[in-house]
Amino acid sequence: MASKPLFKFLLRRFIFLLVTYIVATTIVFILPRAIPGNPLAQLLSNLSRLAQANPEAIRAAERTLMAEFGIDKPMFVQYVTFVFKALRGDLGTSISFYPRKVIDLVVPVIPWTLVLLLPATLVAWILGNTLGAMAAYRRNTWIDKGVLTTSLIVSQIPYYWLGMIFIFLFGVRLGWLPTQGAYSLGTIPNLNWGFFLDALKHYVMPFASIVISAMGGWAIGMRVMVVYELGSDYSLFSEYLGMKDKRIFKYAFRNSLLPQITGLALSLGGILGGALITEIVFNYPGTGFLLFKALTTLDYPMIQGIFVILIASIYLANFIVDFLYALIDPRIRLGQEE
Amino acid sequence: MFATMIRPLFKNKKFIVGISIFLFFLMLGILGPVLYRVNPTKMTWDYEQPPSAKYPLGTDTYGRDVLAQLLHGIRSSLYIGFLAAIISLSIGTVVGSLAAVKRGIVDDTLMAITNIVLTTPSILIAILIASYLRIRSMEVVAVILGLFQWPWFARAIRAQLMSVMSREYVYLSIMAGYSDMRLVIEDLLPTIATYAFMSFVLFINGGIMGEAGLSLIGLGPTRGISLGLMLQWAVLMEAVRRGLWWWFVPPGVAIVALTASLMVISTTMDEVFNPRLREE
Repeated sequence: MASKPLFKFLLRRFIFLLVTYIVATTIVFILPRAIPGNPLAQLLSNLSRLAQANPEAIRAAERTLMAEFGIDKPMFVQYVTFVFKALRGDLGTSISFYPRKVIDLVVPVIPWTLVLLLPATLVAWILGNTLGAMAAYRRNTWIDKGVLTTSLIVSQIPYYWLGMIFIFLFGVRLGWLPTQGAYSLGTIPNLNWGFFLDALKHYVMPFASIVISAMGGWAIGMRVMVVYELGSDYSLFSEYLGMKDKRIFKYAFRNSLLPQITGLALSLGGILGGALITEIVFNYPGTGFLLFKALTTLDYPMIQGIFVILIASIYLANFIVDFLYALIDPRIRLGQEE
Repeated sequence: MFATMIRPLFKNKKFIVGISIFLFFLMLGILGPVLYRVNPTKMTWDYEQPPSAKYPLGTDTYGRDVLAQLLHGIRSSLYIGFLAAIISLSIGTVVGSLAAVKRGIVDDTLMAITNIVLTTPSILIAILIASYLRIRSMEVVAVILGLFQWPWFARAIRAQLMSVMSREYVYLSIMAGYSDMRLVIEDLLPTIATYAFMSFVLFINGGIMGEAGLSLIGLGPTRGISLGLMLQWAVLMEAVRRGLWWWFVPPGVAIVALTASLMVISTTMDEVFNPRLREE
């Protein structure tokens, strides 16, 4: 039943996201070259100054960098090479882990971030929306007030700070859970129960800190939306017709979900940002932790590479959300939009 | 007229609580460093002391007074928040009203840019820009944050102004030969004043949160003290795993209190001024 309007909608979104991605990677490309003081030239001169310490290795690194950034070539040529290399998955060579390739360093840490981020985001979205809708249904009761007040405060707690409080309470004071990493030091990730349990213990706190602080925002948004829908003409009309409250609520709930799905797409970047910092607090071996290491050593090829990948994944996630939206919203499916 | 406009706000208990907490922290930031005259960067031999009479909130690894850091931190974080908010509000207002008044190609271009910035993960771009700047003043951090949080506001303004544009009094102004500038300032902007104020409050919120995030990842202001920098130092020195709670709890409490009170102010304003949400 893949209808024509649906296909058209998705194509339009795809083209938009592709253009956005090109703009974003262009920014990634232009920034180091446009900022006064040219950080790239600075980096290279720093390297040549260091060359006295370990001449051979550093000179080799410098040559690789020069060749990769191609600073001596015209800007346009540099840009085209950058884009084509990125498309082939060649994101350059890391400086701090020379001579390893950026892509080989980034790819192994991505699953750790995904395993943390995806379930946490979805659980927070589902729990938050359920709570918010419940609050709106029992508007002005103590349930509503309790949910609203708690959500307001909780939604403003940065993920990473909640993580710090958890580490201190459950890790340091009570000693229930390990305070850092994704698994115990000395164990090698493999597929047996022992490792799984160990990883699960390490997973609880970072997961919970993201879920709890992300939930509040969804609950508040959902409550406002449902209250709004319940006050709209179709709800009032259904009420005059004598329809049961529960039934009206069901319609209101469904209509309120749509903007929340759009909200999910828009907030992905912010959630990712928060999760990256949470990884740093927990010394969790994901993309955020790698990015932090790259930032502290000013490993620009690695920083660039991580960004090219992160931004691409955000847009991909955006497209998936768009697809779900199109499937759920009959106006798009049947082409009655606008 | 202004008095009748804001009076209903002060009948709302939530609003009073929110504004009181916010003003309390604002005062801490403005007056705190003046009244509590301890140098927040002075190192002493009393390192990692828990709270005591001499050090109300204890000291950090370098023996610096945590309370003094907190007061200065609140001041800088609010400063960065306000500055970022002013930048976002200005960009958003200009883009939104230009798109609504000019229509056509101007509207299409501006909205395309807005949508691109809206979809681009702003905190990531902020991290990327900050990583290339060796020296980052408070103002630079505020600009980086302010440059990316305006799109949703610009879109809302545009939608609102488009509907205002079709009202009769605006037609009359156009017929009377008002310039676009005069039209915007006299006829259009007043209709979005409350919404703009609510958004301003949320922008401050975003600025404070953004500063904390940037600082934690090591890209905050390179000089001075902010709430985010306090948290970063605490993380770097392993304060959390060594149980030095007096070091990392206060800056977090200050961030949550500031941003939550701003959220309460904004949502209660919405409840009071938006008839569809008003409590019966």
